[in-house]
Amino acid sequence: MNIQTKHISVKRYLPDSSADPYWQQYDLPVDDSTSMLDALNHIKEQLDSTLSYRWSCRMAICGSCGVMVNGIPKLGCKTFLRDYEGDIRIEPLAHFPVQRDLVVDMEIFLEHLAAVKPYLIDDNPVKAYDPRAPETYQQSPEQLARYKQFANCINCGLCYSACPQFGLNPEFLGPAALTLAHRYNLDSRDHGKKQRMAELNRHDGVWSCTFVGFCSKVCPKHVDPAAAVNQGKVEAAKHTLIALFKG
Amino acid sequence: MSISKHGTQHKQAFDEPLWWGLFSAGGVCFAVLLPAVILFIAVLLPLGLLPAEALSYERASTLLFSVLGFLFVGAVVCLPLFHAAHRLRHGMFDISVGNDATNKKLMYGGAALLSILALGLVVAGMLG
Repeated sequence: MNIQTKHISVKRYLPDSSADPYWQQYDLPVDDSTSMLDALNHIKEQLDSTLSYRWSCRMAICGSCGVMVNGIPKLGCKTFLRDYEGDIRIEPLAHFPVQRDLVVDMEIFLEHLAAVKPYLIDDNPVKAYDPRAPETYQQSPEQLARYKQFANCINCGLCYSACPQFGLNPEFLGPAALTLAHRYNLDSRDHGKKQRMAELNRHDGVWSCTFVGFCSKVCPKHVDPAAAVNQGKVEAAKHTLIALFKG
Repeated sequence: MSISKHGTQHKQAFDEPLWWGLFSAGGVCFAVLLPAVILFIAVLLPLGLLPAEALSYERASTLLFSVLGFLFVGAVVCLPLFHAAHRLRHGMFDISVGNDATNKKLMYGGAALLSILALGLVVAGMLG
């Protein structure tokens, strides 16, 4: 095991004791398997118990441990110190209000998620369960393939930190919410597209996206939100045309 | 506060699909047609690499003042203008210059005026 010492700077914000954020340096032993989350856990347990950060699963599925590493949004558990030389700076996720140290307030993101109704909306719900004739949703592999990639979102919020448009205008629904809207619009079981299009076809919906594409680059689950949002623009344009002809 | 927020919440952006459509069409024309146009009119012709009469005054006016010339100007001048206007509008928002509602009027209005001028000249040539 090749153990070496690395320096990490963490942006601290402790509103109880200091009004301004400041940088704090830690030296810690790391090996090839040490992730940023391991490093933060080591700091918390061995060096400084006042450090606050979110984490849970350690395996890139809960989406809790998003932080900025050298200015790029990353999941702490999926980022390894072996890939970094020299200065390593860890900050809270950009574009969100900071509550304490690396903990940000994700309320606005959750509001945007709720606004696009990211769940199956069915005009003809499955009937009450009858064990002799159970009714289930039917979906072919082709129908599943249409939306499957967009269904991998873990709501970590990295794409919001990567999005300059969300940084300029927090009312912008943003990559993950628009992607989930698209995911449910593409689902053969769903009948809620009309309700979602009203949200998508606003200035703060798909039209605030300028196709920077950084959201797709930082996504730890390779969901490709930029593709979903721009397919959403085509859908919103069709929606508008149809609305024009229908009056 | 909550009332005004609710009022704007579902305001549909009926104009945005139009700007985005013109931006997309203009982008295609920019990428596909303009390099060829620049190669022929701005490089090969001044260098004398095309036959002298290829774009003589008579030939050029016959080509331009026709339905085909009208479509050519639309594809090579007007649509790229709207493409550029869209980029400028969003670029100005990105660097926080002006306000988006005004920028929209200025940029798309400018593109529309120049387009009308360009197409108007072709139509005038066709009639005259």
